[in-house]
Amino acid sequence: MSIGPDILVSGRRQIVALSIFLVIQTLGTVFYVGDVIADLREDPASAHFVFEAIVTAALVLGVILGTFALRRTIELLRSQEQALAVARGALSEVIEGQFDAWALTPAERDVGLLALKGLDVAEIAELRGAAQGTVRAQLTRIYSKAGVSGRAQFAAFFVEDLLSGGLKAA
Amino acid sequence: MASPRIQAGTAAETPPTLWDPVVRVTHWGIAASVLLNALLDEGGSVLHVTIGWIVMALLFLRMVWGVLGPVEARFSAFPPNPLAALRHLRQLATGRVRHYPSHNPAGALMAYAFWATLAVVTATGLIMTGGATPMQVAADKAAVASGDWSALIRDGEGASDEDESLGKAAKEVHDVAANLLLILAALHVAGVALESRAMRRNLVAAMLIGKRQR
Repeated sequence: MSIGPDILVSGRRQIVALSIFLVIQTLGTVFYVGDVIADLREDPASAHFVFEAIVTAALVLGVILGTFALRRTIELLRSQEQALAVARGALSEVIEGQFDAWALTPAERDVGLLALKGLDVAEIAELRGAAQGTVRAQLTRIYSKAGVSGRAQFAAFFVEDLLSGGLKAA
Repeated sequence: MASPRIQAGTAAETPPTLWDPVVRVTHWGIAASVLLNALLDEGGSVLHVTIGWIVMALLFLRMVWGVLGPVEARFSAFPPNPLAALRHLRQLATGRVRHYPSHNPAGALMAYAFWATLAVVTATGLIMTGGATPMQVAADKAAVASGDWSALIRDGEGASDEDESLGKAAKEVHDVAANLLLILAALHVAGVALESRAMRRNLVAAMLIGKRQR
Protein backbone atom coordinates (compact mmCIF):
# COMPACT_ATOMS: atom_id res chain seq x y z
CA MET A 1 0.00 0.00 0.00
CA SER A 2 1.64 3.19 -1.09
CA ILE A 3 0.56 6.76 -0.79
CA GLY A 4 -0.77 8.20 -4.05
CA PRO A 5 2.02 10.23 -5.59
CA ASP A 6 1.56 13.96 -5.22
CA ILE A 7 2.32 14.49 -8.87
CA LEU A 8 -0.81 12.53 -9.90
CA VAL A 9 -3.08 14.26 -7.41
CA SER A 10 -1.96 17.67 -8.61
CA GLY A 11 -2.32 16.48 -12.21
CA ARG A 12 -5.94 15.53 -11.60
CA ARG A 13 -6.62 18.87 -9.95
CA GLN A 14 -5.09 20.61 -12.93
CA ILE A 15 -7.35 18.67 -15.30
CA VAL A 16 -10.48 19.56 -13.35
CA ALA A 17 -9.47 23.23 -13.20
CA LEU A 18 -8.66 23.34 -16.91
CA SER A 19 -11.99 21.68 -17.74
CA ILE A 20 -14.02 24.13 -15.71
CA PHE A 21 -12.12 26.97 -17.35
CA LEU A 22 -12.79 25.49 -20.79
CA VAL A 23 -16.53 25.18 -20.13
CA ILE A 24 -16.80 28.78 -18.96
CA GLN A 25 -14.72 29.92 -21.92
CA THR A 26 -16.98 28.05 -24.33
CA LEU A 27 -20.11 29.52 -22.78
CA GLY A 28 -18.72 33.03 -23.14
CA THR A 29 -17.55 32.39 -26.67
CA VAL A 30 -20.90 31.07 -27.91
CA PHE A 31 -22.75 34.05 -26.43
CA TYR A 32 -20.22 36.42 -27.99
CA VAL A 33 -20.47 34.74 -31.39
CA GLY A 34 -24.26 35.12 -31.24
CA ASP A 35 -23.86 38.79 -30.41
CA VAL A 36 -21.41 39.35 -33.26
CA ILE A 37 -23.75 37.68 -35.75
CA ALA A 38 -26.57 39.93 -34.54
CA ASP A 39 -24.33 43.00 -34.94
CA LEU A 40 -23.30 41.79 -38.38
CA ARG A 41 -26.91 42.08 -39.48
CA GLU A 42 -27.16 45.57 -38.11
CA ASP A 43 -23.97 47.50 -38.87
CA PRO A 44 -20.96 45.51 -40.04
CA ALA A 45 -18.85 48.64 -40.64
CA SER A 46 -18.96 50.07 -37.12
CA ALA A 47 -15.85 50.15 -34.96
CA HIS A 48 -17.88 48.37 -32.28
CA PHE A 49 -18.48 45.43 -34.60
CA VAL A 50 -14.89 45.20 -35.79
CA PHE A 51 -13.57 45.27 -32.24
CA GLU A 52 -16.06 42.67 -31.06
CA ALA A 53 -15.32 40.43 -34.02
CA ILE A 54 -11.59 40.46 -33.20
CA VAL A 55 -12.25 39.70 -29.54
CA THR A 56 -14.57 36.88 -30.55
CA ALA A 57 -12.02 35.38 -32.92
CA ALA A 58 -9.51 35.41 -30.07
CA LEU A 59 -12.05 33.66 -27.82
CA VAL A 60 -12.69 30.95 -30.43
CA LEU A 61 -8.96 30.41 -30.81
CA GLY A 62 -8.69 30.24 -27.03
CA VAL A 63 -11.31 27.48 -26.85
CA ILE A 64 -9.51 25.40 -29.47
CA LEU A 65 -6.11 25.86 -27.81
CA GLY A 66 -7.66 25.15 -24.42
CA THR A 67 -9.08 21.90 -25.76
CA PHE A 68 -5.67 20.82 -27.03
CA ALA A 69 -3.98 21.78 -23.76
CA LEU A 70 -6.54 19.85 -21.74
CA ARG A 71 -6.21 16.72 -23.84
CA ARG A 72 -2.42 16.89 -23.61
CA THR A 73 -2.61 17.21 -19.85
CA ILE A 74 -4.97 14.23 -19.63
CA GLU A 75 -2.70 12.10 -21.81
CA LEU A 76 0.37 13.19 -19.86
CA LEU A 77 -1.28 12.20 -16.59
CA ARG A 78 -2.21 8.82 -18.05
CA SER A 79 1.33 8.10 -19.19
CA GLN A 80 2.53 9.08 -15.73
CA GLU A 81 -0.01 6.78 -14.14
CA GLN A 82 1.02 3.98 -16.45
CA ALA A 83 4.72 4.51 -15.89
CA LEU A 84 4.24 4.58 -12.15
CA ALA A 85 2.01 1.49 -12.24
CA VAL A 86 4.74 -0.43 -14.08
CA ALA A 87 7.39 0.92 -11.75
CA ARG A 88 5.38 -0.42 -8.86
CA GLY A 89 5.86 -4.07 -9.68
CA ALA A 90 7.06 -6.77 -7.34
CA LEU A 91 10.00 -4.61 -6.36
CA SER A 92 7.79 -1.76 -5.28
CA GLU A 93 7.53 -2.56 -1.60
CA VAL A 94 11.25 -3.10 -1.24
CA ILE A 95 12.00 0.10 -3.07
CA GLU A 96 9.40 2.08 -1.14
CA GLY A 97 10.86 0.87 2.13
CA GLN A 98 14.33 1.93 1.09
CA PHE A 99 13.07 5.31 -0.12
CA ASP A 100 11.45 5.75 3.30
CA ALA A 101 14.76 4.98 4.96
CA TRP A 102 16.48 7.58 2.79
CA ALA A 103 13.70 10.10 3.58
CA LEU A 104 13.08 10.97 -0.07
CA THR A 105 10.44 13.61 -0.78
CA PRO A 106 7.38 12.54 -2.86
CA ALA A 107 8.83 14.18 -5.98
CA GLU A 108 12.20 12.49 -5.44
CA ARG A 109 10.41 9.15 -5.02
CA ASP A 110 8.72 9.54 -8.41
CA VAL A 111 11.95 10.55 -10.12
CA GLY A 112 13.84 7.76 -8.37
CA LEU A 113 11.33 5.15 -9.53
CA LEU A 114 11.49 6.38 -13.11
CA ALA A 115 15.30 6.41 -12.99
CA LEU A 116 15.27 2.82 -11.73
CA LYS A 117 13.03 1.95 -14.68
CA GLY A 118 15.84 3.07 -16.92
CA LEU A 119 14.42 6.33 -18.17
CA ASP A 120 16.97 9.02 -18.91
CA VAL A 121 16.82 12.60 -17.70
CA ALA A 122 15.08 13.89 -20.84
CA GLU A 123 12.41 11.19 -20.68
CA ILE A 124 11.77 11.76 -16.96
CA ALA A 125 11.53 15.49 -17.52
CA GLU A 126 9.02 14.99 -20.34
CA LEU A 127 6.92 12.55 -18.32
CA ARG A 128 6.80 14.84 -15.33
CA GLY A 129 6.41 18.01 -17.33
CA ALA A 130 9.46 19.45 -15.55
CA ALA A 131 12.68 21.05 -16.74
CA GLN A 132 15.65 18.75 -17.27
CA GLY A 133 17.66 20.83 -14.83
CA THR A 134 15.09 20.15 -12.10
CA VAL A 135 15.22 16.41 -12.73
CA ARG A 136 19.03 16.44 -12.72
CA ALA A 137 19.05 18.31 -9.41
CA GLN A 138 16.53 15.86 -7.95
CA LEU A 139 18.63 12.90 -9.09
CA THR A 140 21.72 14.44 -7.50
CA ARG A 141 19.87 14.82 -4.20
CA ILE A 142 18.61 11.24 -4.41
CA TYR A 143 22.14 9.91 -5.04
CA SER A 144 23.54 11.90 -2.14
CA LYS A 145 20.78 10.72 0.22
CA ALA A 146 21.40 7.13 -0.90
CA GLY A 147 25.15 7.57 -0.62
CA VAL A 148 25.84 6.37 -4.14
CA SER A 149 28.02 7.91 -6.80
CA GLY A 150 25.53 7.93 -9.66
CA ARG A 151 22.82 6.20 -11.59
CA ALA A 152 24.64 2.92 -12.12
CA GLN A 153 25.38 2.51 -8.41
CA PHE A 154 21.86 3.62 -7.55
CA ALA A 155 20.33 0.85 -9.68
CA ALA A 156 22.97 -1.65 -8.54
CA PHE A 157 22.06 -0.92 -4.92
CA PHE A 158 18.71 -2.69 -5.29
CA VAL A 159 19.96 -5.47 -7.54
CA GLU A 160 22.82 -6.29 -5.21
CA ASP A 161 20.63 -6.37 -2.15
CA LEU A 162 18.00 -8.47 -3.89
CA LEU A 163 20.65 -10.98 -4.92
CA SER A 164 22.06 -11.17 -1.42
CA GLY A 165 18.55 -11.67 -0.09
CA GLY A 166 17.68 -8.60 1.94
CA LEU A 167 18.33 -4.95 2.40
CA LYS A 168 20.96 -3.66 4.70
CA ALA A 169 19.89 -1.12 7.24
CA ALA A 170 20.35 2.35 5.92
CA MET B 1 -2.20 1.08 -4.17
CA ALA B 2 -4.08 3.91 -5.80
CA SER B 3 -5.18 2.46 -9.11
CA PRO B 4 -5.58 4.99 -11.90
CA ARG B 5 -8.98 6.60 -11.70
CA ILE B 6 -8.84 7.71 -15.27
CA GLN B 7 -7.99 4.68 -17.32
CA ALA B 8 -6.44 4.79 -20.73
CA GLY B 9 -9.09 3.55 -23.15
CA THR B 10 -6.60 1.54 -25.13
CA ALA B 11 -5.13 -0.19 -22.11
CA ALA B 12 -8.38 -1.57 -20.75
CA GLU B 13 -11.26 -3.23 -22.55
CA THR B 14 -13.64 -1.78 -20.00
CA PRO B 15 -15.29 1.64 -19.93
CA PRO B 16 -13.56 4.30 -17.83
CA THR B 17 -14.17 4.12 -14.09
CA LEU B 18 -14.38 7.88 -14.28
CA TRP B 19 -15.10 9.94 -17.37
CA ASP B 20 -13.00 13.05 -17.96
CA PRO B 21 -14.36 16.32 -16.54
CA VAL B 22 -15.44 17.71 -19.92
CA VAL B 23 -17.65 14.68 -20.59
CA ARG B 24 -19.09 14.91 -17.09
CA VAL B 25 -19.74 18.65 -17.05
CA THR B 26 -21.38 18.64 -20.50
CA HIS B 27 -23.48 15.59 -19.56
CA TRP B 28 -24.89 17.00 -16.32
CA GLY B 29 -25.12 20.56 -17.64
CA ILE B 30 -27.25 19.42 -20.56
CA ALA B 31 -29.32 17.08 -18.37
CA ALA B 32 -30.17 19.86 -15.90
CA SER B 33 -30.85 22.34 -18.71
CA VAL B 34 -33.23 19.98 -20.52
CA LEU B 35 -35.22 19.29 -17.36
CA LEU B 36 -35.38 23.00 -16.48
CA ASN B 37 -36.45 24.13 -19.93
CA ALA B 38 -38.89 21.29 -20.52
CA LEU B 39 -40.61 21.21 -17.16
CA LEU B 40 -40.01 24.34 -15.08
CA ASP B 41 -39.53 27.61 -16.91
CA GLU B 42 -41.75 29.31 -19.45
CA GLY B 43 -41.03 28.92 -23.15
CA GLY B 44 -39.85 32.18 -24.70
CA SER B 45 -38.79 33.65 -21.36
CA VAL B 46 -35.32 35.13 -20.98
CA LEU B 47 -34.36 32.23 -18.71
CA HIS B 48 -35.56 29.70 -21.29
CA VAL B 49 -33.57 31.34 -24.08
CA THR B 50 -30.47 31.69 -21.87
CA ILE B 51 -30.56 28.01 -20.94
CA GLY B 52 -31.07 27.15 -24.61
CA TRP B 53 -27.87 29.05 -25.45
CA ILE B 54 -26.02 27.29 -22.63
CA VAL B 55 -27.12 23.95 -24.10
CA MET B 56 -25.87 25.09 -27.50
CA ALA B 57 -22.45 25.93 -25.99
CA LEU B 58 -22.21 22.65 -24.06
CA LEU B 59 -23.27 20.66 -27.13
CA PHE B 60 -20.67 22.51 -29.20
CA LEU B 61 -17.95 21.76 -26.64
CA ARG B 62 -18.88 18.07 -26.56
CA MET B 63 -18.70 17.94 -30.38
CA VAL B 64 -15.23 19.53 -30.33
CA TRP B 65 -14.23 17.10 -27.57
CA GLY B 66 -15.56 14.23 -29.71
CA VAL B 67 -12.89 15.07 -32.27
CA LEU B 68 -10.02 16.47 -30.20
CA GLY B 69 -10.60 14.82 -26.81
CA PRO B 70 -8.95 11.75 -25.26
CA VAL B 71 -9.43 8.37 -26.91
CA GLU B 72 -12.56 7.13 -25.14
CA ALA B 73 -14.39 10.46 -25.50
CA ARG B 74 -13.85 10.58 -29.26
CA PHE B 75 -16.61 9.63 -31.69
CA SER B 76 -14.24 7.09 -33.23
CA ALA B 77 -14.36 5.13 -29.95
CA PHE B 78 -18.12 4.62 -30.24
CA PRO B 79 -19.25 4.82 -33.88
CA PRO B 80 -23.00 4.62 -34.44
CA ASN B 81 -23.75 0.99 -35.29
CA PRO B 82 -27.41 -0.09 -35.03
CA LEU B 83 -26.57 -3.76 -35.70
CA ALA B 84 -24.03 -3.86 -32.86
CA ALA B 85 -26.56 -2.07 -30.66
CA LEU B 86 -29.18 -4.75 -31.35
CA ARG B 87 -26.63 -7.47 -30.69
CA HIS B 88 -25.74 -5.78 -27.42
CA LEU B 89 -29.40 -5.57 -26.37
CA ARG B 90 -29.81 -9.29 -27.13
CA GLN B 91 -26.80 -10.04 -24.95
CA LEU B 92 -28.29 -7.86 -22.26
CA ALA B 93 -31.50 -9.92 -22.36
CA THR B 94 -29.54 -13.15 -21.92
CA GLY B 95 -27.39 -11.57 -19.23
CA ARG B 96 -24.05 -12.13 -20.93
CA VAL B 97 -22.65 -8.75 -21.90
CA ARG B 98 -19.37 -7.80 -23.48
CA HIS B 99 -17.42 -4.88 -22.10
CA TYR B 100 -16.44 -2.00 -24.34
CA PRO B 101 -13.65 0.56 -23.92
CA SER B 102 -16.11 3.44 -24.33
CA HIS B 103 -19.92 3.59 -24.50
CA ASN B 104 -21.52 0.25 -25.34
CA PRO B 105 -23.14 0.22 -28.82
CA ALA B 106 -26.66 0.77 -27.44
CA GLY B 107 -25.47 3.58 -25.20
CA ALA B 108 -23.59 5.12 -28.13
CA LEU B 109 -26.75 5.12 -30.24
CA MET B 110 -28.56 6.80 -27.35
CA ALA B 111 -25.88 9.50 -27.18
CA TYR B 112 -26.16 10.21 -30.91
CA ALA B 113 -29.97 10.31 -30.66
CA PHE B 114 -29.65 12.84 -27.83
CA TRP B 115 -27.21 15.01 -29.72
CA ALA B 116 -29.28 15.01 -32.92
CA THR B 117 -32.46 15.87 -31.01
CA LEU B 118 -30.68 18.57 -29.00
CA ALA B 119 -29.39 20.08 -32.24
CA VAL B 120 -32.94 20.12 -33.65
CA VAL B 121 -34.37 21.71 -30.50
CA THR B 122 -31.62 24.34 -30.42
CA ALA B 123 -31.89 25.15 -34.13
CA THR B 124 -35.68 25.49 -34.06
CA GLY B 125 -35.39 27.59 -30.91
CA LEU B 126 -33.02 29.92 -32.75
CA ILE B 127 -35.48 30.19 -35.67
CA MET B 128 -38.31 31.01 -33.25
CA THR B 129 -36.35 33.84 -31.60
CA GLY B 130 -34.87 35.05 -34.88
CA GLY B 131 -31.42 34.17 -33.58
CA ALA B 132 -31.66 36.79 -30.84
CA THR B 133 -29.17 36.38 -28.00
CA PRO B 134 -30.56 36.21 -24.46
CA MET B 135 -29.26 39.75 -23.94
CA GLN B 136 -31.34 41.00 -26.87
CA VAL B 137 -34.41 39.09 -25.71
CA ALA B 138 -34.04 40.69 -22.28
CA ALA B 139 -33.59 44.17 -23.82
CA ASP B 140 -36.64 43.72 -26.06
CA LYS B 141 -38.76 42.51 -23.16
CA ALA B 142 -37.64 45.46 -21.03
CA ALA B 143 -38.49 47.86 -23.87
CA VAL B 144 -41.96 46.36 -24.32
CA ALA B 145 -42.55 46.45 -20.56
CA SER B 146 -41.73 50.16 -20.50
CA GLY B 147 -44.28 50.83 -23.21
CA ASP B 148 -42.01 50.95 -26.24
CA TRP B 149 -43.64 48.55 -28.68
CA SER B 150 -41.15 49.18 -31.46
CA ALA B 151 -39.22 46.07 -30.41
CA LEU B 152 -42.24 44.00 -31.37
CA ILE B 153 -42.52 45.79 -34.70
CA ARG B 154 -38.86 45.13 -35.41
CA ASP B 155 -39.52 41.47 -34.77
CA GLY B 156 -42.33 41.48 -37.29
CA GLU B 157 -40.41 43.62 -39.77
CA GLY B 158 -40.45 42.07 -43.21
CA ALA B 159 -42.27 39.05 -41.87
CA SER B 160 -43.79 37.50 -44.96
CA ASP B 161 -46.29 34.65 -44.94
CA GLU B 162 -43.38 32.38 -45.68
CA ASP B 163 -41.51 33.51 -42.56
CA GLU B 164 -44.63 33.07 -40.50
CA SER B 165 -45.27 29.52 -41.66
CA LEU B 166 -41.58 28.74 -41.07
CA GLY B 167 -41.95 30.08 -37.53
CA LYS B 168 -45.03 27.93 -36.94
CA ALA B 169 -43.32 24.84 -38.31
CA ALA B 170 -40.29 25.59 -36.13
CA LYS B 171 -42.47 25.84 -33.03
CA GLU B 172 -44.16 22.55 -33.89
CA VAL B 173 -40.83 20.76 -34.37
CA HIS B 174 -39.40 22.44 -31.24
CA ASP B 175 -42.23 21.08 -29.08
CA VAL B 176 -42.17 17.59 -30.56
CA ALA B 177 -38.39 17.32 -30.31
CA ALA B 178 -38.44 18.61 -26.72
CA ASN B 179 -40.91 15.86 -25.78
CA LEU B 180 -38.74 13.36 -27.61
CA LEU B 181 -35.82 14.50 -25.42
CA LEU B 182 -37.79 13.65 -22.28
CA ILE B 183 -38.68 10.21 -23.68
CA LEU B 184 -35.03 9.61 -24.57
CA ALA B 185 -34.02 10.71 -21.06
CA ALA B 186 -36.39 8.18 -19.50
CA LEU B 187 -35.06 5.41 -21.78
CA HIS B 188 -31.50 6.51 -20.98
CA VAL B 189 -32.04 6.26 -17.22
CA ALA B 190 -33.66 2.83 -17.59
CA GLY B 191 -30.78 1.72 -19.84
CA VAL B 192 -28.15 2.86 -17.36
CA ALA B 193 -29.90 0.96 -14.55
CA LEU B 194 -30.08 -2.23 -16.66
CA GLU B 195 -26.46 -1.96 -17.86
CA SER B 196 -25.16 -1.25 -14.37
CA ARG B 197 -26.79 -4.45 -13.13
CA ALA B 198 -25.72 -6.57 -16.09
CA MET B 199 -22.13 -5.29 -16.12
CA ARG B 200 -21.86 -5.10 -12.32
CA ARG B 201 -20.36 -1.65 -12.76
CA ASN B 202 -21.68 1.55 -11.30
CA LEU B 203 -22.12 3.58 -14.48
CA VAL B 204 -23.56 6.53 -12.57
CA ALA B 205 -20.46 6.83 -10.38
CA ALA B 206 -18.29 6.89 -13.52
CA MET B 207 -20.26 9.93 -14.69
CA LEU B 208 -20.16 11.60 -11.25
CA ILE B 209 -17.02 11.32 -9.11
CA GLY B 210 -15.76 7.79 -9.70
CA LYS B 211 -15.13 5.27 -6.97
CA ARG B 212 -13.63 6.84 -3.86
CA GLN B 213 -10.29 5.16 -3.33
CA ARG B 214 -9.30 6.71 -0.05
